[in-house]
Amino acid sequence: MRELLVGPFKSFIRVSAQVRKELVQVRRRPGAFFSLVLGPFLIMAVFGLGYTGVHRPLETVIVVPDDLNLPRDTAFYSTIVGPAVHVREVTTNAGPARDALAANVLDLVLVAPADAAQTFRSGRQARIQIYLNEVDPVATAYADFLASVVSQRVNQEIIKQAVISGQTYAVPATGGQVFQIPPEIVAQPTVAEVINIAPSTPTVVSFAAPAAFALMLQHMAVTLTALSFVRERLSGTMELFRVSPINSLELVLGKYLGLGLVSAVIAIITSLLLVFGLGVPLLGSPWLVAAVIALVVFASLGIGLLISVVADSERQAVQLALLLLLASVFFSGFVLPINEFREGVQYLSYSLPVTHGIRLLQDLMLRGDTTAWWEMTALAAIGLVLLVLTVLALRRTLRSA
Amino acid sequence: MTAPNPPVEPTPPVGQTQPIEQAPPVLQTPTVQARIGQSAQLAQAALVPPPHQRSWRERLFRRRPDTGTRWAIGLERVSKKFGDVVGVEDVSFAVPEGAIVGVIGPSGAGKTTTIRLMTGALRPDVGLVRVLGDDPRRFSRRTREKIGYMPQLFVLYPDLTVRENVEFMAALFGIPPWRRGRRVAEVLDLVDLTQARGRRASALSGGMQRRLELACALVHQPRLLVLDEPTAGIDPLLRKRIWQELDRLSKSGVTVIVTTQYVSEAEYCDSVVLISEGNLVAFATPQDLRKQALGGEVIEVVTSAPFDASALPPIEGVVSVRQQGPNDLLFVATDAGAATPRVNDAIERAGGAVDSSREYRPTFDEVFSVLVTAHAQRGRGEAGQPGPGLMPHQLARPR
Repeated sequence: MRELLVGPFKSFIRVSAQVRKELVQVRRRPGAFFSLVLGPFLIMAVFGLGYTGVHRPLETVIVVPDDLNLPRDTAFYSTIVGPAVHVREVTTNAGPARDALAANVLDLVLVAPADAAQTFRSGRQARIQIYLNEVDPVATAYADFLASVVSQRVNQEIIKQAVISGQTYAVPATGGQVFQIPPEIVAQPTVAEVINIAPSTPTVVSFAAPAAFALMLQHMAVTLTALSFVRERLSGTMELFRVSPINSLELVLGKYLGLGLVSAVIAIITSLLLVFGLGVPLLGSPWLVAAVIALVVFASLGIGLLISVVADSERQAVQLALLLLLASVFFSGFVLPINEFREGVQYLSYSLPVTHGIRLLQDLMLRGDTTAWWEMTALAAIGLVLLVLTVLALRRTLRSA
Repeated sequence: MTAPNPPVEPTPPVGQTQPIEQAPPVLQTPTVQARIGQSAQLAQAALVPPPHQRSWRERLFRRRPDTGTRWAIGLERVSKKFGDVVGVEDVSFAVPEGAIVGVIGPSGAGKTTTIRLMTGALRPDVGLVRVLGDDPRRFSRRTREKIGYMPQLFVLYPDLTVRENVEFMAALFGIPPWRRGRRVAEVLDLVDLTQARGRRASALSGGMQRRLELACALVHQPRLLVLDEPTAGIDPLLRKRIWQELDRLSKSGVTVIVTTQYVSEAEYCDSVVLISEGNLVAFATPQDLRKQALGGEVIEVVTSAPFDASALPPIEGVVSVRQQGPNDLLFVATDAGAATPRVNDAIERAGGAVDSSREYRPTFDEVFSVLVTAHAQRGRGEAGQPGPGLMPHQLARPR
């Protein structure tokens, strides 16, 4: 009976010694601790204060050939193309404008068709040429979109001008009645009205904050742990463990609890700063948010500890941690939606704790609830699998020579 | 100028890496057997784990006599290579409980490899290792609780203070908090680190770090202490104190196996494992190592007038005699105490006058130098056996 109690009691002593040692080591390196706490918050703060979410207007020159009977006034065109485009100049010579575009001084050059009237009369569409000099596919898509908007607005303006010149442009309706219809309505008969039923309409920063927080939680936990066993193996401490009564499960539990406590403190401080400092909404239950944070940390500690067991040097551990960060940025839904990836890659996405963390934190913080409760289970399962793998890998390390 | 004494029987080659059953004759003398138990049966008994830990093969085929001796460590024909480099080769020895055994050898000789084979950090390519009855690769938790290990390099936590490091190690061995404080204070006092208990390990000198590691190895009062160069970088006074403590522990039944760079520390050991180039050169008591190196015990005689040693007749118990100078003679005897009166008497009868005669005790540096050189010569197939013919040329002139 006594033996039954002594064994677990000694295990408790060994695990608590590990926990205490980890906490003391973190306390002895306050710089590292504060960089872990303040680093993520400062990044979020700079992002929040510095990011406007508004695209810079594209610098544009409009080329109107001499023989074309169109206005030369920049204000006229600015009204047509809207605020997304800044009309710097209206010119008749396309050459210098294209040179400026090639030199990246301009973003767009719009060339009005020289033979627009003739082309129209012959029953064909006149072509407005829009030149850009862009390799970024996102910027190219944006320019394409703007070009279509510009084209649409020019068409509207043409129709509007035609209606004005016709004065009594009529649309026959049922019953043979004739209605006086304003030219701008003829040119643009419908407009869209957007109604958002989401419980909050966060700013870009507030929307990005939960996702960035989840990513930082994972990276922090992995960074905290990725070097732990590597250092102990390289310094020779593992050799002491091999001869001492501590086993791999006790070693791993000590790390989980010690570094988990540190992560919890950092997560609490960072989340308070996000909510009360940056004003990120917290519509859901704080306890549920805390549970998600705990699960993300649990699973992420597992990744870090597994890295620290399998890596053969500190350099390799750091490289693996950075690779994980890179994979998380690409595949977690932080930048690109997961459903835009092929199915096989989506499995990779869902094997990352941060993927589930982003979804759950965004839902709970910005919507107040989630429909993806299975992701909590997935996080717990990932954490447990990693715990088992780490214990087995460490046992192998302790036995191997 | 060698005296015409009958040559002694050639000393058997020392340190041959034979299996324990065929241990070198020098290890089979009653004295050595009694002190270090190098007989085949005794050594084999050391390798037999307790019945509940034996495999079915061992239970079926490995019946060993119960010698009554309790063994802490046994190595049987153990070899370990690192690629093409020999770590240790065909090493066999056994350590009884309560003994202090020194593992001594030149740098790179295989001392640490031997230690790491005992701790399970290395797996032998060939051979069998047993520590406290267990295979080190599968130490039970109970066995590990009985072992205190101090590695060669500093492996503790530089961020923790001296006291925190020792407390951590005490907790690893399951010492409860209410007993930890007193025990930690005791070991810190033992290694003279009480004043430095609040300093971080990273701020300690190399010698202090060694002492801290020693404190960590001792804190849980192990039954077997495995110490890899515990006195390296420590001042002579503290070294002496540490050896006194090891002696005290040994007397209380703790087995101590210790490697050291300081050959003179062999004097503190009950027996010494001398390793060179991965081979066991010798395993004997310090006293017997001297005999192996010198071919016997050495008596130094100074005569009041020049004396020619060739005038001496054969003397009972004297193996050989060497003329060191006109007035200076060295006699190699099987027993210096018994032979000295007979030597004095023989010189007087031959017309000489003895001014002084005393047993000459060469330093261990000299002894090991002789043994290692002889071993190397044998390895190269050169002539030269340890014993009377080798000794006088290689030893420094007695002071």
